[in-house]
Amino acid sequence: MSDSPLLEIRDLWVTYWQRSGLTLRRRPFHAVKGATLSIAPGETLGLVGESGSGKSSIANAVLGLVPAASGSIRFGDAELSAMKTRYPAAARRQIQAVFQDPFSSLNPSMTVGDIVAEPLRVHTGMSREERRARAAELLKLVSLSEEHLGRHPHQFSGGQRQRVAIAAALALQPRLIVLDEPASALDVSTQNQIINLLYERRDALGIAYLLIAHDLALVHHISDRIAVMYLGHIVEQGPAGRVYSAPAHPYTRALLEAVPLLDPARQRARRAARKAAPAVEAPRDAVSGCPYSNRCPSVMARCRSAMPAAFPVEGGGTASCFLAEDRGRARPAGEPASLAS
Amino acid sequence: MSVQSASASDRGARSGSRRRASAQAVTVAAVAVLSLLVIAAVAAPWIAPYDPLHQSLGAALQGPSTAHWLGTDDLGRDVLSRLVYGCRIAVIAAAEATSIAVVLGVPLGLFVGYRGGWWDWAVMRLVEAVVSIPGIMVAIVIIAILGTGLHRAMIALGILFSTSFLRLARGVVLTEREEVYVKLARVVGASDRRILLRHIFPNIAPPLIVQVTLTVGAVLLAEAGLSFIGLGVQPPDASWGTMLNTAASYMELNWFLAIPPGIAIVATVLSINLLGDVIRDSIGRGVAVGVKPTTPVARFEAAAPASPESAAPPPRRDDDVLRIEGLQVVVSAKEGGEVPVITDLSLAIARGETLGLVGESGSGKTLTGLSILGLIGAGGRSTHGTITLNGTELRALTERQREQVRGNAVAMVFQDPTTSLNPAFTVGNQIAEVLRAKKGLSRKAAWARTIELIDRVGIPRPAERARAYPHELSGGMAQRVAIARALSCNPALLIADEPTTALDVTVQQEILDLFRDLQDEFGMAILFVTHDLAVAADICDRIAVMYAGEIVEVAPVDTLFATPRHPYTRGLLSAMPHASDRDPPLPTIRGTVPRPGSWPRGCRFSDRCGFRTDACGQRVPLTGTGRLVRCLRAGDPELEAGR
Amino acid sequence: MLRLVVQRLLALVPLLFIVSVLTFSLTSLLPDDPADLIIGQWGTEQQFEMVRERLGLNEPLVPRYVHWLERALHGDLGTSFFNSVEVSDAVMQRLPVTLSLTAVSALIALLVGLAAGIAAALRPRSWTDRLATFGATIGQAIPNFWFGILLVAVFAVTLRWFPATGFTPLSSSPWEWLRSVTLPAIALGLASSAAIARQVRSAMVGVLQQDYIRAARAQGLSRRRVIFKHALTNALVPVVAVLSFQITVLLGGALIVEQVFAINGLGTLAITAVRRQDIPMIQGLVLVMVVLVVIVQLATDVVYGFLNPKARPS
Repeated sequence: MSDSPLLEIRDLWVTYWQRSGLTLRRRPFHAVKGATLSIAPGETLGLVGESGSGKSSIANAVLGLVPAASGSIRFGDAELSAMKTRYPAAARRQIQAVFQDPFSSLNPSMTVGDIVAEPLRVHTGMSREERRARAAELLKLVSLSEEHLGRHPHQFSGGQRQRVAIAAALALQPRLIVLDEPASALDVSTQNQIINLLYERRDALGIAYLLIAHDLALVHHISDRIAVMYLGHIVEQGPAGRVYSAPAHPYTRALLEAVPLLDPARQRARRAARKAAPAVEAPRDAVSGCPYSNRCPSVMARCRSAMPAAFPVEGGGTASCFLAEDRGRARPAGEPASLAS
Repeated sequence: MSVQSASASDRGARSGSRRRASAQAVTVAAVAVLSLLVIAAVAAPWIAPYDPLHQSLGAALQGPSTAHWLGTDDLGRDVLSRLVYGCRIAVIAAAEATSIAVVLGVPLGLFVGYRGGWWDWAVMRLVEAVVSIPGIMVAIVIIAILGTGLHRAMIALGILFSTSFLRLARGVVLTEREEVYVKLARVVGASDRRILLRHIFPNIAPPLIVQVTLTVGAVLLAEAGLSFIGLGVQPPDASWGTMLNTAASYMELNWFLAIPPGIAIVATVLSINLLGDVIRDSIGRGVAVGVKPTTPVARFEAAAPASPESAAPPPRRDDDVLRIEGLQVVVSAKEGGEVPVITDLSLAIARGETLGLVGESGSGKTLTGLSILGLIGAGGRSTHGTITLNGTELRALTERQREQVRGNAVAMVFQDPTTSLNPAFTVGNQIAEVLRAKKGLSRKAAWARTIELIDRVGIPRPAERARAYPHELSGGMAQRVAIARALSCNPALLIADEPTTALDVTVQQEILDLFRDLQDEFGMAILFVTHDLAVAADICDRIAVMYAGEIVEVAPVDTLFATPRHPYTRGLLSAMPHASDRDPPLPTIRGTVPRPGSWPRGCRFSDRCGFRTDACGQRVPLTGTGRLVRCLRAGDPELEAGR
Repeated sequence: MLRLVVQRLLALVPLLFIVSVLTFSLTSLLPDDPADLIIGQWGTEQQFEMVRERLGLNEPLVPRYVHWLERALHGDLGTSFFNSVEVSDAVMQRLPVTLSLTAVSALIALLVGLAAGIAAALRPRSWTDRLATFGATIGQAIPNFWFGILLVAVFAVTLRWFPATGFTPLSSSPWEWLRSVTLPAIALGLASSAAIARQVRSAMVGVLQQDYIRAARAQGLSRRRVIFKHALTNALVPVVAVLSFQITVLLGGALIVEQVFAINGLGTLAITAVRRQDIPMIQGLVLVMVVLVVIVQLATDVVYGFLNPKARPS
């Protein structure tokens, strides 16, 4: 990835202030703790994690819906984090979003035509007719038709609504679309239709995606790279194939192991293996050192005291785990200095 | 359609239309009363038979007569004429106070709601202060400053009621602001002004209209009250409130004086409130948006339930715990009538066996579970078939007897553990309650057993956790508690409805392992309902695939995944994200799942099937031995090759 | 529970502050100078100045407020403009009258509202439901004072079961107290029972559709237990808020209903005070009512915390 990235996030912190009881003092809750990510033009980055991992907070920070507490978000040449939530129009045009719930992401009191044309109305000087024509064009791009323009959202199925949301996101020909669980509220048979549509539009228009999802299996199909989050930290990132087939961080491995497979025989084998080595039961509270140290099966003494940095992994990417560091040291056998330390 | 269900659906349709008709009658009556009021107000001088202020002391306190239809008051003034002029006061009062309230309240509410921060805090504290003083007292205080009289009293009421419009507008803004579409408008870069006016404001209109009707009613009552105590309209002017004031003084001499103005007030307020109710209800149905919801064309014809070919019962086994044969379930439709949601469903589960019931939303899988418990809920009922649990026909039982069966012989675990536990009681209390009610244990014994159960489902520090409230537990822990409760009476059958769907994958795995463990120990049969074939592959011994209210394929788990035979099963399997390591396009099934009531005739999958032939327009039975398929072309070489 | 009470008490401080400022500023909001009101147009300049001095009107606003608040906190609400009656004495003398009327009507409203609401919710769309809903709609449309007049006409004037006017204190004769308070309390409580019934019905209908109700039924618990233990406990949460609001409404309504029954309570005091622009008296009345409302709200919060574990401070 030698060309300059489209989106570059460095050491991003997102903090929410919660009022505790009646006292005026408010307690900070750090949803994202120093995340570093980048997306090249036309690239898809899959951001994966369980609920509460902070993945949606990163999305909201990129979209300027919540301010960054510290760190930087660069989009092209613009430093977005400095503008808090007041992005300049140029940045607004180029970053769009599609959210999870197809039932609340469309305004019930507007027609589909108005919803799709809204970005045009805000950012372009197009006349009413031009906007209508463009909206009709956009609907065709997502396999809906012109006759849907005058209908209201409640007349559509979940999958169709999500198509409308995608059409609206495409209206300004953005360079980046943030996709926050775009298909997870849909049935299996419609889910893939949406994924295929997104994939096809990306290839046709050269858009970059920040794809946020909890399902690693789904994400790896259409991502170039994958980043895995755990309790506000990005614990691993790298090429999609490598992360999916050779995860370096124990948490990524646990996540992959937990995804049920369509093969009953392999499931039985996994179950037997789990029984032999029971999972570590522990609260998921913040701990000092590595956030995963209290659940990690291969925890070492230093994991509990120090936070591992992002160490490079063979096959590309990084993992924030001392095991990756050890492996990295062990690998280049031609360097005796590293063995000695 | 069988005679029985035909008459039932007829009944449903009739009661639905009767409800609509009575709602219409109420609306017409209310509008008529209010129109009459406005006409009387405008045309008072022409309608009223006398001058409302003309006194005739000789004819005081008369009862109704041909000269004075409603009699005369203490000064001999004609009551009917005063009543008619009172309409004028009522209309002016309502219009004046309500407009002041809207004009003051709505913009301020929108502003503070959207702006938030210090403005919001300060204004809301002020509103709270005003609201914490009884409304009449606030009005009295404002009148103390402004002085008495109709217009001043209405300004007072306008200020008072503006607080409710302020709170309404603010509330709408606060909820709408969190809506995803408002987030999207911000992402697009729409200005605050545009978001407020274009995206949020249209959604305030429906509740605003309802609030206006409520306020008009409240203003009329308050105006009458203030005039009654002499702080509103001043004598000798005629208003309904002052008329009642007079009436109260002459109660013993002529009680009839109190009747006309009282009925006028009640009729007006009742009409406006009823109109408000009608508007609110129609908003609930989405009519107020000006769009008629599209009604699906009912294309379904119920199968003749007793036809021998379709009712092929599953083979009998000695250790069957549950047998369902030929079950049909209908629910009442919004448009009136009843729509089948499950047809011709047969299945059996043996002791210690886990049967997966797999399907997409709307396939009827959840309702199957609820039918076994007899808890389909209002608007639904089973019409045909038998459900036999441990040799007892459940559909034939009385509600009392079914209560006995539930919990003891069959129990259920629901999808969302945070909503299936009662938020008001501790989790231990909820398990112990079942033990005491069903097993007759003493308080102490029940608690001891509760802690054992909580320990058994793998929750650390059980004695402490038993005293926790549901919201204090994580989703995974809460689901473990729900499982402990379900197993508390050692049921022969456990129904698990998507028990892991709301959980993270790593937690899902733990819960699935727990189910296996508990089954090894307790030996219950499990009906595992899920949309996720991979989860079913993990936990089930056999799998039944449901599509549009019927089972399309049943097979042992290994066989099903190795050689799926129904085109839908096959489509579903290949559409699962784990299925392929290919790049997109990912395999899909074209179209969408049809809603109940709009199922195709014949094979319900035929619309979306690539192997459809003309014969698929006929009803297709579930056939086979050992593994069952509902497809005419199952085993067809072309279809097998398409895999 | 103590923490909850303390928390809520603290939360009420800004409310009380704002109300006190609002009440205090009544004097300044008045179009006429209070001294004019007291002396009338024929007073001399010297008398006028004396009265201004006595009322503290020559002081700047802020110290005057502090002074006023200080005295109010000690229970000294000043003296009426028109006679030398202490405001606090006048208010305290009539408070028990209005309070017993409000309390009895609140009790009636709660009992009737609960019964009608639950009956309606258990069988939605049945005849019971329609009857209760229609009754509630009518109940909310009937002015309390008119209903009072009708009750007097039937039960006092015609049947002579109850006295038509007057009020007997509870301390002098409990039986006569009950007789004197029954009709006004029913008249006053009607609209509130309707409002409570509506809230109970909708809360119950909502709760009965919850997963945990279905889960409790799936566990084989009896319908009766599920309704009265599992559903009602949760349905009461919003009802408590409505009841608290209705008590405020009843307190206001009492001012009017007292007039129908010629009961010498706070209502008569308030109406006389307004007609004469007797500001200290009005200020005193407002403050007393707000204190009553605050006490009710506090009680509400405690009951709320009892019913809803999520509302308790952890």
